[in-house]
Amino acid sequence: MTLNWTPEVVVAFFVAIIGFVLTITTYIKPKTKKITSLNYIRLAILVFSIFIFIDGLSILYINEFLSIISGFILVPFTLSLVIGVTYIIKENFYSLGFVLVIGLSVLFIYLGFQPNAVTIKVQGGYIRLPWMGLFGNIGMTLSAIGGVFIFYWGIKTLKNAPFLIKKEAYMFFLGIFVASVVSMVFYVLYLFDPFYIVASNLALLVGLLIITLSVMIEPKLLYILPFTVYRIMVKDREGYPLFDHDWSKSEISENIFTGFINAVQLMSEEIMNIGGLLDIQLKDGILILHESKNITVGLITSKSSKLLRSSVANFTRDFEIKFEKILMEGNKDMKKYESAQELIEKHFSNFPSRIITHKRKPLLLTELLLKLPLSLDRDLKTIFKDEKEYNFIKSEIFRTPESTAAGFISLYKELKKELDGIENEHQES
Amino acid sequence: MSNLNLALSLTLNHPSVQSVIEIAKEVINNNNVLDTELLYNLAKRRLKFPRKGLLSIIQLLINKKVLVEGSKYTRDEVLNNRYRFNLYNFLTSYLGVHFSSIRKQIITDKSGTLGSSGQLIWHLEMLIRFNYIKKIKIKNYTVFLPYEIDDEIGLLHFVLRDEIYLKIIQLLISNVKLKKSEIHKLVNEKRETIYYRINNLIEFNIIELSGDDNSLVLNSSKKNDIILIITTFSQNNSQITKLNFNNK
Repeated sequence: MTLNWTPEVVVAFFVAIIGFVLTITTYIKPKTKKITSLNYIRLAILVFSIFIFIDGLSILYINEFLSIISGFILVPFTLSLVIGVTYIIKENFYSLGFVLVIGLSVLFIYLGFQPNAVTIKVQGGYIRLPWMGLFGNIGMTLSAIGGVFIFYWGIKTLKNAPFLIKKEAYMFFLGIFVASVVSMVFYVLYLFDPFYIVASNLALLVGLLIITLSVMIEPKLLYILPFTVYRIMVKDREGYPLFDHDWSKSEISENIFTGFINAVQLMSEEIMNIGGLLDIQLKDGILILHESKNITVGLITSKSSKLLRSSVANFTRDFEIKFEKILMEGNKDMKKYESAQELIEKHFSNFPSRIITHKRKPLLLTELLLKLPLSLDRDLKTIFKDEKEYNFIKSEIFRTPESTAAGFISLYKELKKELDGIENEHQES
Repeated sequence: MSNLNLALSLTLNHPSVQSVIEIAKEVINNNNVLDTELLYNLAKRRLKFPRKGLLSIIQLLINKKVLVEGSKYTRDEVLNNRYRFNLYNFLTSYLGVHFSSIRKQIITDKSGTLGSSGQLIWHLEMLIRFNYIKKIKIKNYTVFLPYEIDDEIGLLHFVLRDEIYLKIIQLLISNVKLKKSEIHKLVNEKRETIYYRINNLIEFNIIELSGDDNSLVLNSSKKNDIILIITTFSQNNSQITKLNFNNK
């Protein structure tokens, strides 16, 4: 049997291989694997790879049946992609796209069983098996819906990507743009000249390659949309903070956060057993609490999920094990628990940090680390006996024009006489 | 640091973290505006850390609040501090109050959260520095005025806040001309106190001697301002109320 090796077949096989690699990458690279939305996206990539592979085979063997089968595979591809993207955005399956794909798919499958759904033709000097009539049009529409959803995912991911992974997010978006928009443009041109199907598949190949590469460099790209994880805090059973870590600024105030943890600690025996998990719905997020023998762990996130709850439980368990000795001693020095950072990496590595909001955002060093000239420091320490007050003034000095501190000392000396008068008067009264 | 698998071992004491802190200190001490980009670029050039590792360090420093968002104060930002905002409002509402008086309000505040004299002076200095207020010296008193208020008006407010000065001036408004001795009799205070204040008022150019009989009259150019201020005081019942620094 003579095989019909054409450029379209070769490109289709390459695209399929890259698709399989991307599927495996999206499974292997992220440490956390069980996220519903990503499972659908992964399924979509896998199904797409199978689709393009069978499409290539159908041309290679000039087999109409395989061509129709490849068309049918377009249905699960579009469906899983639409569900995956919708689920990422709103944790729900249903969308207008979902209904549209279901409706079109029924018609598409029916048309696939009709005669002349696929014909063998010579186009551009090569034997091809184009989908014909309404079957072809609906197949094209399904592909277009898939393209639109992928592009939407790319835009949302780029828009929401935090500063730390913005560079990779641009790369990811470029891949998505090439694989969806550029590929679709060539696909439309294919209607006028069959050569463009090769260009369309090539664009897909390049796009998928870029997407694969960016996900390999930064797997967190896949976790930008499902959740925003704000903060985790560990407290001992007496309510002293031992460790805290921020991923991003939360609207939930410190008081509410610690207040809930304290309240839950007080009532823990009534509302949750040791080892139990509790979700508290707050106005601006969800507080997931986990109580163990020596500690209470609270995580604030935009959404609750099985994945996050198990991450909190595992983090708690490992924290107890890692710091067992000092926890038993009742050590409350937060510095001793700093190395819990590695547990954050272990259990929450997929969630991107949004703590650096913008690269040009002005920063200051905490006043505790800043050093003033010796004489000024001595004068300030004489004036401000209270350490909190001293640190506050110190932090202010670093935010003021250079001569402000000297001006202050001079004003202080000038007013001291008046000051002593009042203070004596006050003491006497 | 050949391979920065930092995330697993980063603490503030890590030498690499300390090197980045040193660079941040240097930028701030040189009075430059520190931001993530500048810190990243400088540290990258000097320390040759890989991008991800360096970003992890900067992220850790922000996370541990070693680096905090903020910049040098601008004039608009100075009043974001609640203490300063309330202090400025107080000085605007009670023109002519002197330092002792402001301080007295704070020391007697029952909330006990208003801090020391040093803190008050710091905030006054900040308001002066950013041209919200100015200070004028009147005899032994330091008076703080909103920047745009004329010194003369400030002086009149200061004088009229004193009960004895006020009585003397009110007498001169209703009687037009009075001798020192007559004023002393009418005010019913110690002679030295009255004479001291009269001399001050002459020195402030608020009252002046008239004719050969050494009678005292109000400076006619200031009379209208004085009457206006006294009217405002009586309308507002302008006793200095306690500073309410704890309310927004």
